[in-house]
Amino acid sequence: MSSTGTGIQPPSRVIEAARSPVMASAFAGRTKVLPILELALLIAASIAPLLLRDYITVYATRVLILCLFALSFDLVWGYAGILSLGQSLFFGMAGYGVALLSRDFGVGSIFAVLPAGTLIGFVAALLLAGFLLLGRHPSSVVFVSLGTLTGAYAADRLARGSHYLGGQNGIPSIQPMTIGSHELSEGPGFYYLVLAILVLIYLLSRFLLRSQFGLALAGLRENEQRIAFFGYKVQHLKAIIFAISGAIAGTAGSLYAFHEGFVWTNMLGVVMSTQVVLYVLFGGSGTLIGAVIGTAIVEGLSFWLSDNYRDIWPIILGVLLLLVILFRPLGLISLVLGERERVGSFGPSLKEKRNAAP
Amino acid sequence: MDTLLIAMFEILSFGAIVVLVVLGLGIIASMMGIFNFAQGEFVLLGAYVTYLVHSVGLPVPLGMLAAPVVVGALGFVLEKLVVRRFYAAPIVAMLGTYALGLIIREAVRGLTGGLYLSVPEPISGSITIGSLHFATWRGVIVIITLLVMAASHALLAYTSFGLRVRASLENPSLARASGISTGMIYSLTFAFGAALAGLAGALIVPVFSLFADLGIRFLIQGFVAVMVGGVGSFAGPVAGASVIGTFSAWLPWLMSPVIADVLVFVLAIIFIKFRPQGLVSGRGVNR
Repeated sequence: MSSTGTGIQPPSRVIEAARSPVMASAFAGRTKVLPILELALLIAASIAPLLLRDYITVYATRVLILCLFALSFDLVWGYAGILSLGQSLFFGMAGYGVALLSRDFGVGSIFAVLPAGTLIGFVAALLLAGFLLLGRHPSSVVFVSLGTLTGAYAADRLARGSHYLGGQNGIPSIQPMTIGSHELSEGPGFYYLVLAILVLIYLLSRFLLRSQFGLALAGLRENEQRIAFFGYKVQHLKAIIFAISGAIAGTAGSLYAFHEGFVWTNMLGVVMSTQVVLYVLFGGSGTLIGAVIGTAIVEGLSFWLSDNYRDIWPIILGVLLLLVILFRPLGLISLVLGERERVGSFGPSLKEKRNAAP
Repeated sequence: MDTLLIAMFEILSFGAIVVLVVLGLGIIASMMGIFNFAQGEFVLLGAYVTYLVHSVGLPVPLGMLAAPVVVGALGFVLEKLVVRRFYAAPIVAMLGTYALGLIIREAVRGLTGGLYLSVPEPISGSITIGSLHFATWRGVIVIITLLVMAASHALLAYTSFGLRVRASLENPSLARASGISTGMIYSLTFAFGAALAGLAGALIVPVFSLFADLGIRFLIQGFVAVMVGGVGSFAGPVAGASVIGTFSAWLPWLMSPVIADVLVFVLAIIFIKFRPQGLVSGRGVNR
């Protein structure tokens, strides 16, 4: 389905702007907001545990894990235009997977559970992508979103009905994660671990999206047919990014399981998928930092407001989401970030190109 | 033999419920090209209105009459305020209606206090034929579904309103050039679809009882049914709903309900994968 002029996705002229040297150099002269924003957030996140009380640090750790999860949704929706309403499937499956590893085999070493969770997410996403995205007929966006939504719903139902997986109650009291002989419990230590992982994955994603692969993805989101005419295998590109995002969701899910100490069916189901859609749309899809900011704002607000307005908080959240979709389709990030910078430039830097051209 | 007849009746009445839920969704999807993710919550709202009328002491059938009117009116207002901004962008429409649904769902959850609330059947008891007993209310649902289906089809196929709706579907700019106010037609069509969902909610609330997540299940079921049947025609969603309804009611007799529930959806998704145009391919309303 073509998405030209949909508002919520960036218009295609931006890619041309990156290609045209005149416009790009005019742009390069202006101050860039994005690196400043990223650096400011990183500094704020690094010193936060020193200033916050312990129980808030624990909460902040959870928010960072959810940021990681939001990144995974942003990659598929904001960059490849795949509306995955079942992103929680990979998050929850990895969570359940590592919980089982811990319960049945006593495995808690970070070097075993994180790769295992990531792998579970990756394989599950690859299989689902293989079914939903690949094939003779290109799949419509509606079909993919319905398929992923159904996947999450089905997993939720099955987990609820399964005695092995603990049914309604999930799997409680998972042992703490260990690094060597050191037990990692909630608090600043866990916080910095998650922060490090988040920064690492953020940078990897940033690198990936600024490469030729990212350029092809951006083109895909703008005009799928044109990219197909250029000779790209559109469905393969989509499946690859979907699997990568599944892997990231898997990492987030396994961290979440060990941080909370238990897993339950909401992690798999529609509830969690809704959450992540909310974070990313709120912050601004199509920018990695938007997903992080959206998560931080939504979770921060809900931490602050839900004590006083517990009953109406979900309604407020829904109204805010609707307002953002209607009036700020690019998310809150678009208040400070210009359109050109949001999409940025691709491939080798412009200076090198200019030197190479003549 | 007796069990078979009872099973057939169960399947028929559950199929009728699914058809009722899907009809509104299918009409909005086919006639307007909008996948309304708030449709499940319109069902929920219809159920809630019925409960509200019942809880103030008025008779339940009155609530069932009020539900489609209230939900239809709300649909009209929402279309004017929100949904019409999305026609150019069907994917954004999904997200926007998703947000609308979230608001309705959470509002109802707040109002009901997260409880399961029950509404009595307006016509209770059962009909006895020979040695078999059938719940009367389920029979009533089947009959009402048939009537609503026939009326909707007649409305779209034979009235001048239906002609305008179909004209706006086929070629909006030509319809506007011929003096049809397509904006108004879209508002009315959306309101009509919402009213059907409201009616469905009102009729099923005695069977399922009222709880905030009532809508989600029907939403997924409805979407799967519309896609299985095929978007764009009147017959498609109805056919899809019959198939999904039949399987949803029949499979639990063969296996555990949880597995059956999931299996129906998985089979449906596989079917859609290999036949994206659905059971009934084609557009418009056959006369």
